[in-house]
Amino acid sequence: MGDVIIARNLKKYYGTARGLEDATLSVREGEVYGFVGPNGSGKTTFIRILAGLIRATSGSVSAFGLTPGPDSEKINAAVGYMPGESFYYPERKVREVLGFFARERGVSEVRMRELAERLDLDLGKRIDALSFGNRKKVGIVAAMLHQPKLLILDEPTTGLDPLVQRTFLDLLREEQARGTTVFLSSHNLTEVEKACDRVALVKEGGILFTTTIADLVKRKHKRLVVAPAVELSIAGLERTGGNERESYYEYRGETAPLLSLLADAGLTDVVIRDATLEEIVIGHYERGNGR
Amino acid sequence: MRIFDSTLFTMELKRGFRGVLIWTFALSASMVLVIALYPMVIDMYAAIPPEFADLMEAFGGIPDSIVEYYATEGAMMLQLFGSIFAALQGFGAINRDEREKTAESLYVLPIARRTFFATKLLRASLEVLILSAVAAASSYVAFLAVGEPIDMAPFLRFTALNALVFLVFVWLAFAMAALLKPNQKPFVAIAVPFVLYVLYTVSLMADDAVLEFLRNLTPFTFADPLEILKADFEVAWIPMTVFLGLSAAGLLAGWRAFRVREIIV
Repeated sequence: MGDVIIARNLKKYYGTARGLEDATLSVREGEVYGFVGPNGSGKTTFIRILAGLIRATSGSVSAFGLTPGPDSEKINAAVGYMPGESFYYPERKVREVLGFFARERGVSEVRMRELAERLDLDLGKRIDALSFGNRKKVGIVAAMLHQPKLLILDEPTTGLDPLVQRTFLDLLREEQARGTTVFLSSHNLTEVEKACDRVALVKEGGILFTTTIADLVKRKHKRLVVAPAVELSIAGLERTGGNERESYYEYRGETAPLLSLLADAGLTDVVIRDATLEEIVIGHYERGNGR
Repeated sequence: MRIFDSTLFTMELKRGFRGVLIWTFALSASMVLVIALYPMVIDMYAAIPPEFADLMEAFGGIPDSIVEYYATEGAMMLQLFGSIFAALQGFGAINRDEREKTAESLYVLPIARRTFFATKLLRASLEVLILSAVAAASSYVAFLAVGEPIDMAPFLRFTALNALVFLVFVWLAFAMAALLKPNQKPFVAIAVPFVLYVLYTVSLMADDAVLEFLRNLTPFTFADPLEILKADFEVAWIPMTVFLGLSAAGLLAGWRAFRVREIIV
């Protein structure tokens, strides 16, 4: 399978302000690609360049072998794009707006009604009467209406309640099963873990590294905080820091030997939790496994 | 190569419908009111003492007929407010999507920029033509209603040239919106007809070579109701050519900017 999206040394500056410093990546056909990073890291800038809304300062990007730009009708016909904040004709009803999108995309309104029903979206309401989350739903429907070959989704689940998030993930899996390539930006790592095949961590305008979710999941571990600060030793346990009062550890291995060790260590306090995906990602990067 | 998109055109018309309705109703009703007041105004003029009438001569004098009355009291108001409406529609055709942030959802549809440009321009142009036609029809009915039918030919001539002035403001404001940075306030567009209207009224104050030259720098000159509604009217070709040329140049420059315009919302 070929690459649907290819970006090389993509850079974007808004005057002197940095939007994107140096992004190089490729997205394979049929995969769900997560673009993960904190706010202001350059995710939306990358997505807007990819959607042809803004131009890169330097570097190159292509989708389906074509360069996105203001007149990229061919790319736009194959892409479903959902902006981070969904704004549509505010004084019109949802049905009218989505009907307009359906007509422009050359598809029937059956799919619109089906998606709206699954997402529990009221088609009879005016856009300006919708909450942020409901406007997000309009964005999801507008992006998925025409069953595009490529979905570009900017923070798609922000503002959605957990039930709708689950429905959205189901829809995403269905699209993927149909062969759709998905490029999804998020700062919600749990969502990325559930939805994506590969993930790129973007920070301060650059891509730190790209890896598979399976690889990251393999790196799952426990995080421990123990007090008082003591030296503990067991296979798979690694001290990561601490102070006079407490010590921090990472642990990879079975739970029983760890619990047995902690029970005999004379501790006054113990906190054990799963490492977040962010900690796994950053740990992965700091160990020099990136790029 | 698709230049016009009827789906987009219909949606855009619906979007602006309420504004067009309000402006059209307000201006048409104002014209009807001005004309309906004519029988009363005639009586008022008759009661004006001669010395005060002489004073009024400095400000255009007392109208001789309903046509002159309409030209000075109604048509000039229609021109000013209609031009403001035209500038708002032209500017808003591009600017509104950026201000209301709908641009990010619209410009990723499989519609070329040239189609957006042409469709939006046509929509704004049609809206001012609707206003112009309804205001003219209402005025004509009002003339008949007060029992003062006017000559149809000069009235139609005025309506056509006045609509052309409106179109000039649509095109200039549209070009401005395409050339300026995104998210500008619509006030920028209103300033154009306002300034040109002031220039027009100033240029009429005296028969002076400089002022006469200034008349060529405002489109209101080629739709001067007092001149047009006269029997021996001649088209003011110079200001008409200047402003049609400016509009064409503006639209061309606007198109060049719009086709590569970055959508930053």
